[in-house]
Amino acid sequence: MLEIRNLVKEYKNVTAVNDISFNIEPGKIFGLLGPNGAGKTTTIRTILNIIKPTSGLITLDGNSITEDFYNLIGYLPEDRGLYKKSKVIDVILYFSSLKSIDKKEALKRVSYWLSELNIEEYKYKKIEELSKGNQQKIQFITAVLHDPKILILDEPFSGFDPINQQLIKEQILNFASSGKIIVLSTHQMDTAEKLCSDILLLNNGKEVCKGNLAKIKKEFGTNNIKIEFDGDASFLNELDDVKSIDVYSTYAEIHLVQNIKPAEFLRKISDRLLISHFSVIEPTLNTIFLDVIKSTK
Amino acid sequence: MNKTFAIAKWEFMEKIKTKAFLISMIITPIIIITYALLPTILSDSQESGTKLVGVLDPSNIYFKGINNRVSQFKLSNNIPAYLLVNLTKDRNLDSLEKRADREVLRSKIASYLLIKNGGTDSVKIELRSKSTANFKDVKNFEQAFNETRINLQLKKKGIDTSLMRMINSNVNLKAIKINKEGKATESDFLIVFFSSFIFIILLMLMILSSGGMLIRSLLEEKSNRLIEILVSSCTPSQLLGGKILGLSALGLFQIAIWALMGIVLVGSSAVTLETFENIPLLLIYFILGYVFYTAIFVGVGSIVSTEQEAQQITSYMSMILILPIVFAITTIQEPNSNFVHILSYFPLTTPSIMLLRLNASTVPISEIIITLSILILSILIMIIISSKIFRIGILSYGKRPSLRELYRWVKEK
Repeated sequence: MLEIRNLVKEYKNVTAVNDISFNIEPGKIFGLLGPNGAGKTTTIRTILNIIKPTSGLITLDGNSITEDFYNLIGYLPEDRGLYKKSKVIDVILYFSSLKSIDKKEALKRVSYWLSELNIEEYKYKKIEELSKGNQQKIQFITAVLHDPKILILDEPFSGFDPINQQLIKEQILNFASSGKIIVLSTHQMDTAEKLCSDILLLNNGKEVCKGNLAKIKKEFGTNNIKIEFDGDASFLNELDDVKSIDVYSTYAEIHLVQNIKPAEFLRKISDRLLISHFSVIEPTLNTIFLDVIKSTK
Repeated sequence: MNKTFAIAKWEFMEKIKTKAFLISMIITPIIIITYALLPTILSDSQESGTKLVGVLDPSNIYFKGINNRVSQFKLSNNIPAYLLVNLTKDRNLDSLEKRADREVLRSKIASYLLIKNGGTDSVKIELRSKSTANFKDVKNFEQAFNETRINLQLKKKGIDTSLMRMINSNVNLKAIKINKEGKATESDFLIVFFSSFIFIILLMLMILSSGGMLIRSLLEEKSNRLIEILVSSCTPSQLLGGKILGLSALGLFQIAIWALMGIVLVGSSAVTLETFENIPLLLIYFILGYVFYTAIFVGVGSIVSTEQEAQQITSYMSMILILPIVFAITTIQEPNSNFVHILSYFPLTTPSIMLLRLNASTVPISEIIITLSILILSILIMIIISSKIFRIGILSYGKRPSLRELYRWVKEK
């Protein structure tokens, strides 16, 4: 189990991370969420042992982090980039040597991963000759080749087309079922919702929402409705009954104020809008995110 | 430690494959050889043929003597260097002078020797030509005139002119450098100067080219966040150590290739090994100097985050590197002066100044030990400072840190 206790990181005049704590069990995917500048990257860098926390404790199975930790951790950073002029095989072998994997073993794993991600033919090509998506796959391989115990993925799906997103998602789920500790940091709430069992939502370096996702949804309330409609729905924004709203061209997800009954609300708007579908739904992670961030402002 | 070697190997192998490295490996010796040979080639080409030189001497007493003396100057293929024409005719000096000037301007004669107030104590001579005369010509004609004048005077006083030969036969003073073994070698200022100078220029070029490479590769790793993957795989000190080690190996490899090229091109016999009798010691200073500057480059390089800043910093660094070259002549002329001693103890100039001193004079063993210790100590201190700056610098983007911030980084544990 990876435990983070009362983590604080202060820079000269900002507190990037202010007293956050969480645990991640093996086999679970943990969602580290928050708007830009919330402190996600700082938290990740502290776990990676790249920067030292001002205070707080990080332990793995009860042991504090030492240099051996470097070989147990795999990291896929948000900004991607590899040595452009170098060959695919050389780059992967270099990073695996930095994780203390011997060359023979590394070569075996390279073949496995290249075929798993359907890019065998690029083994001896230079990185710059690969498409952006394929470069991202190479980067993914460098993060997982040493079979890390802890996998930290920062926006793993950005830059991939839907087919490849599916491919990467399957790999991540495989890692989870094989008992790895996975930290997923992302802005894509729908992906996080599908993959993560536990989340921590950060804003301005502080915890604003954390715990089991199903529990959070339950606590968030049942006052969520989805309507499908025809006509101009822009007036919905101004209604007092609406706590927050996510409007698309033919449907909207609405979080109602606590004491408003969904049926009541439907009656109110049905004469102004042609409604073809109405349902009470679980709040989406996106709604929770928007609501929580708005209310903490 | 294994990771340090893995990084060193990567830096070495990836840099050696680049075109920039190959080009610098071939171009640099060509530039050095060109610079070394060009002055000789240029001054040789001027002696292409016999020069027609006029003599205008209204007193009419020197022509024969000068002509005799000048005919002894030969070009390399044994043809006379000068052919003299007597321009003196029965006319007044002014019009003769004008006429002679015209002839020079029309390139009928290369130049002419004008002798005023001949036969008196206030004699004056001028060598007049279209452009400033070649210093060799000036020297030759000055010598010819003076000898002729003295000879005439001796003859007048009835003294044997063969005395003149004795007076003229200069005994040259040979400069001999005594080594610790009591072996004596002839030392020629120019040979010492150039042989040591080439060492320093090599050191400078290598530091600049590999320092530039280092900064650029750090910049690449910083801008695409590769650095984050690297420092999540090894400690910053391992990364720094690996980079220094890899680049030093690359530098040594380059020297080895150049040395081989030199032996193949020039032939080992042509290399005057006597001037490089201290080779092992010279190499130690060379390598330590190289490592010291590389350590500085790593620290400095980690704080830049744009190409412009990298260029700016490289140019500051080259200014520091040029410093020893400015003092090179003083060092060889006065290898034991106080000023040179101070420079040898100042780590930025220790390698270059010691390279010069070892070639120019015998340096006491105590000084060698002291300067080497200073250099090694500075390398260790520099690596500690650099790795502290490096640790924070590689993760900070945007505004370049101020000196005060850097000081804080170094102090931070």
